[in-house]
Amino acid sequence: MNAVGYAAIALQVGAVVVGAPLLTGLMRQTRARLEGRAGAGVVQPWRDTRKLLRKEPISPVGTGPAFRWAPLLLVATALVLAVLVPLVSTDTPVRGRADLIVVVALLALGTLALALAGLDTGTAFGGMGASREMTIAALVEPTILMAVFALSIPAGSTNLPVIVAGAADQPARLTSPAGLLAIAALAVAVLAESGRLPVDNPSTHLELTMVHEAMVLEYAGPDLALVEFGAQLRLAVLLGLLASLFAPWGIATSGSLVAVLLALLLVVLKVAVLGMALAAAEVFWAKLRLFRVPELLAGSFLLALLAVTASYFLGGE
Amino acid sequence: MNAALTALLLTVPAAAPLAVAAGYALVGLVTRRASRAVPTARGEARPRPQLAEKTVRHPGTAAGGVSVEDGKGEASDASAPVEQLLAPRARGRRPADWAGLASPTVILVCGALLASDVVDDGALAAYSGLLRADALTVWMLLVVGAVALIACASAPAHLAGERAAGRIPDVSAWRYHVLVHAFLAAMCLALVTANLGVLWVAIEATTIVTAFLVGHRRARTSVEAAWKYVVICSAGIALAFLGTVLIYYAARQAGVAEAWALDWPTLLARADRLDPAVTRLGITLVVLGYGAKAGLVPLHAWLPDAHSQAPAPVSALMSGVLLSVAFAAILRYQVIADAALGPDFTRVLLTGIALLTLALAAGLLVAQRDYKRMLAYSSMEHMSLVALAAAIGSPLALAAGLLHIAGHGLAKATAFCASGGILQLRGTSKIGRVRGVLAQSPWLGALFGLAVVALLGFPPFSLFASELGIARAGFAAGAGLGWAMAAALLLVLIAFAALATRTARMLLGPGEPTGESPSALWPLVLGLAACAALGIAVGPLGDLLSQAAAVLERP
Amino acid sequence: MSEGLFTQLLDLACGAFLLAAVVVLWRRELVAIVRLFALQGLALAAIALLLGLHEDRWDLIVVAAGIGALRAGLLPYLIRRALTALVADQEQGETRPYVRSEEVRETQPLVNVAASLLTAAALTLLAYAVARPLVELDPTPATRALPVGLAVVLIGFFVLVTRRRALAQVVGFLLLDNGITATAFLAASGVPLIVELGVSFDVLLAVLVLQLLTVRVREAFGTTYIDDLRELHD
Repeated sequence: MNAVGYAAIALQVGAVVVGAPLLTGLMRQTRARLEGRAGAGVVQPWRDTRKLLRKEPISPVGTGPAFRWAPLLLVATALVLAVLVPLVSTDTPVRGRADLIVVVALLALGTLALALAGLDTGTAFGGMGASREMTIAALVEPTILMAVFALSIPAGSTNLPVIVAGAADQPARLTSPAGLLAIAALAVAVLAESGRLPVDNPSTHLELTMVHEAMVLEYAGPDLALVEFGAQLRLAVLLGLLASLFAPWGIATSGSLVAVLLALLLVVLKVAVLGMALAAAEVFWAKLRLFRVPELLAGSFLLALLAVTASYFLGGE
Repeated sequence: MNAALTALLLTVPAAAPLAVAAGYALVGLVTRRASRAVPTARGEARPRPQLAEKTVRHPGTAAGGVSVEDGKGEASDASAPVEQLLAPRARGRRPADWAGLASPTVILVCGALLASDVVDDGALAAYSGLLRADALTVWMLLVVGAVALIACASAPAHLAGERAAGRIPDVSAWRYHVLVHAFLAAMCLALVTANLGVLWVAIEATTIVTAFLVGHRRARTSVEAAWKYVVICSAGIALAFLGTVLIYYAARQAGVAEAWALDWPTLLARADRLDPAVTRLGITLVVLGYGAKAGLVPLHAWLPDAHSQAPAPVSALMSGVLLSVAFAAILRYQVIADAALGPDFTRVLLTGIALLTLALAAGLLVAQRDYKRMLAYSSMEHMSLVALAAAIGSPLALAAGLLHIAGHGLAKATAFCASGGILQLRGTSKIGRVRGVLAQSPWLGALFGLAVVALLGFPPFSLFASELGIARAGFAAGAGLGWAMAAALLLVLIAFAALATRTARMLLGPGEPTGESPSALWPLVLGLAACAALGIAVGPLGDLLSQAAAVLERP
Repeated sequence: MSEGLFTQLLDLACGAFLLAAVVVLWRRELVAIVRLFALQGLALAAIALLLGLHEDRWDLIVVAAGIGALRAGLLPYLIRRALTALVADQEQGETRPYVRSEEVRETQPLVNVAASLLTAAALTLLAYAVARPLVELDPTPATRALPVGLAVVLIGFFVLVTRRRALAQVVGFLLLDNGITATAFLAASGVPLIVELGVSFDVLLAVLVLQLLTVRVREAFGTTYIDDLRELHD
């Protein structure tokens, strides 16, 4: 069991690390095709990374350790997440530590590191981006907690592998009102957390609207490559988490290598489909005005809360 | 007494006003069609076209239309003497206005016939328990009939004044009659039904029917009052329905069959089996909800607006009986709640609400500058006294409370009708701009003054006896209620002072006599006489009153 | 219908019912609010239908059809007609083009949308707390969903208090009423037929009255902002 478990983790991390930039590339390509452009190709993010890594490291005058360490911290938290989150198998050596609260704390840590880095530059854009990011994060983190909490009530545990395994056993849990509300809430939260439309536009540098890009405006060279890579990792992990929670079919619950390989294939497929669907949807969405964003997030928080109450009161005997 | 006659007597109080309303609607439709066919005859089938034209052309009150100043009730000063001359004369020539007396008469006759039966034989029921009359029903029916008689009998003079001032076209006079009688029908239905669901439907119907009576002038203030009235009352009443649903749920769980689970006598008989927690929630909602309609805190905000904007006879009906009909619904629920939960729950609830309402009414009376709103707040004050009587719950308190309902209805109806006369005379409802009514128009001024004296609780009017009874019962009931009663008396004293000084200001002072003819004022004299008679001796009504109190007594 | 499927479907209908009320708080366009109200009417009819099928009571199925027709058909139609009348009136009378969007939107509720949504969450929890004795009296799948009805009642009250467009307040009142009807169905499979008829009739009349009053408010004040109604005070 142990060997297969370690193999599953290695495969999962490998797939996430290799696949995250490809996922971003896939989404950009989908969008380009839908908009009638040729697109830069699926591997373009990897090419960008390679180019950036070759450049000379540069940091602005007057920045401190917060600025220098943030990219590393971001990538590190994302990698730990990639280890913990049950994407391929629920039966891994780390399953005891894959707690919901740890996962949310790691997500928040990455966000916080970037926000501090944005403040550290001392420029107007950095501070503005940081303040916006924190506003969003303050509403998103509780929403993720609540939504997964709603799913944890029928499972009786906040341990993610247990929740996922339970949902794989009894798909009826997901079609209950609590399950549906939680899916909706979590989907909105994932969009906000990974900086996608309609909360943030990842491809804009317009000072009125940018959030994530404003924070990382001062990065260049290898640091920028790390920041971009970290963001791609987070998107991949979050989409994977969404897929595992709400479409857990095919995830390996036993220790056989074949099941793990099949699960890997399936999860890559699921995340790719989710990413393409998201990219296709973004073509039709406009970004929300910044003042409307809290409304959307408060709404998703409410949905998550309703999910919790519903699973408490409707389900319980 | 045979079943058919019982059924007839129980049906007629609600059916007769409805029939009268339908009659008015039919005639109204016919005349409307006729006036459309001849556009020039815009309802001016009046015998004195010259006089009518003169008043209609008065500046600021263009015929049919309502300007903004008009809405504030400040416009038609100069036309006032003409109206006063016109009012009595137009009376005889408007038989249609007098046909409206049919419904109150029928209600009173049915009430009297039912009274003799109920006093001898106890409660009567018809249509498998849907309609039911006990002593409380009959007492309230008599009050409704008497107040409606005053209101309907002073309506012709009021309408004549309004027509002369050009404030209402003929069509809206028809609509006025239709709505008033539908209003009476809904109130009577609320009284004679034993089904708590139908009771709710009837009380909500009164809101809907009176909405356009409140807003009938279409001025900004009237529309505002009507909107607030409908929204607050409908929402409040919806709470009462939620409470009704919860009681129904509790009754079903207590094993009562579906058809009987909203039947008042059945619920009372099975009250001990109702689940206490659910009943407590239901009763709280019901008291808050019907309390909105009875002018009790916290959903009282509609009351002064609606009462000050409605036409005087409608204000009289709303203040005189609508509030107490809604309160009678609370009384019915209170009996069930006391049987299910013991008396303490409703006692605390009603005492709290009554004291809050009383404090609010007294506070706002002190600062009041509009005499119709002043009367409205005085209604809240009196309703909170009745609520206090219900909270005490001893036989003396209940009888005094019911007598208070009757006395207040009569005196307040008189006061509102007289205030309508003053409004038509002076064209303003601001206290500061009315002086010397007594000198200008002695009969009207004296009647308004006497009505206020009755409301203040002076003998010989019945409010003296009933307030004394409530106070005695309160001090006899124990320390907690004694303190509540003392606080209430202090607040009543404040209200007393405010009401007395404001009224004195309005009535006294120099004024030009207008040579009014008192003949249009007989309904008001009748109302005050009835109120005084009730205060001196209850007479044949004594048995009914004590039996009505016994219906509500705690088991 | 099996017990499990019935519970599942009933929970879904109740979830949709509550969700429609919550989304009403979210949206600003009156047209969208009215559409949501119609959806909620459908969910209410579905609740009644499910209960009728579960208890094999044909009268409940008929009542469900009636409720669907009234609350998902007639009432939304009436409000929408009032809305188009207001807009058409405005376009005729005034030349300012931007006014049109003012009259069909709830631009500035008393409490902003994000705070309203959070309040709705608190109200839902309150409904669950209040409904505990009701559920304990007879815990069946239907009564366990009772808090949903109470939550919609509270949200309706909240809409009524915080929204300032006349028609948005009407929708608030109707949400309140939907919530009460849902409570009646979930608690005791509905009130007796005669009461149900009377209540539906009263609600219909109340909406008609409010619709007419909206037109009069607009005639008298030139807007349907209820906040502008402040001439009567002490």
